[in-house]
Amino acid sequence: MVVLSAARWVRSRLSDRFWRVQEVLKYARHFRGRKNRCYTLAVRSVRRAFVRSTKARREKKRFLRALWITRIEAASLEHGLKYPAFISNLVKSQVELNRKVLADLAIYEPKTFKSLAALAQRRRQEGFLAALGDGKEPEGIFSRVVHHHY
Amino acid sequence: MAAARARRAGASLLSAAIRHRSSQSSSPQPGLVAKTSLTSPPWPEVKLPDPVEEAKYHAAEVVRKVNGLISAGQYGRLFAVVHFASKQWKITSEDLIMMDNVLEAECGDRIRMEKVLLVGADDFTLIGRPLLGKDLVRVEATVIEKTESWPKVNVRFWRRHNFQRKKIIANPQTVLRINTIEIYPCLS
Repeated sequence: MVVLSAARWVRSRLSDRFWRVQEVLKYARHFRGRKNRCYTLAVRSVRRAFVRSTKARREKKRFLRALWITRIEAASLEHGLKYPAFISNLVKSQVELNRKVLADLAIYEPKTFKSLAALAQRRRQEGFLAALGDGKEPEGIFSRVVHHHY
Repeated sequence: MAAARARRAGASLLSAAIRHRSSQSSSPQPGLVAKTSLTSPPWPEVKLPDPVEEAKYHAAEVVRKVNGLISAGQYGRLFAVVHFASKQWKITSEDLIMMDNVLEAECGDRIRMEKVLLVGADDFTLIGRPLLGKDLVRVEATVIEKTESWPKVNVRFWRRHNFQRKKIIANPQTVLRINTIEIYPCLS
């Protein structure tokens, strides 16, 4: 006999339920408690974990910058300079090192960091003299701006 | 400028007080202004060395010594701070660097990094303002690997609003090996 439509009692049923569940549970295997085994609990935990990691990727940048600033502040205080004085005088001397590299130098290259601190200190004193004198006197050596012609 | 202005105001106030107290006393000599909290600046007085002498010392001693060290090759391992792919890296030779972008060079290509901010050895450091000259430093690197990062999962979820978006991101990455850092004795 000719059957033109599917019989009503045939439903489409899932055959790969196991693998769909494993896709979620594989991200929960290192969790604590029943949420590393039971699918309903794991779905909620895995979703929260993914959302938290997404937001943390944006906060990591802020956190690392604060860490570098703390380290640079500690290192410059060892050389007798405060962090705002150090950074502002380095920028005024046209040294464009960022905080990540300055923190690395403070940890692994102490002599170089000491020379940078001395440069910042000298530029600071020249700045004070320039503020006091304010006449056409010889300007400081380290305050001279280097002009590049590219 | 503000300190000078405060000094002048303090001196005039003081001379007005003296004038008020006794009309017969002579005016104070110009060198004898009383010392207030604003007569001298709050930072310690520092005498900087004479610029001409310092320039001579710098050219003669420092530059000559450093040039001598460089031409004699008496430095150990050099490190450099390089600006590459919009980031600053502190590198030495035989270093591996991984950056989160695509380079238009094939694997195995030799690359010269031109924006060098700082070069240092054990005894001396050359600080660029902001960059060092291309005839002074040479940093060479080779492209080793061009791959993708591990698949990062980006999920945005807003509870009780039936809002969930999931996106898997695999950034392209490049691995470079720093071959050499060379400096040439052309300081002035």
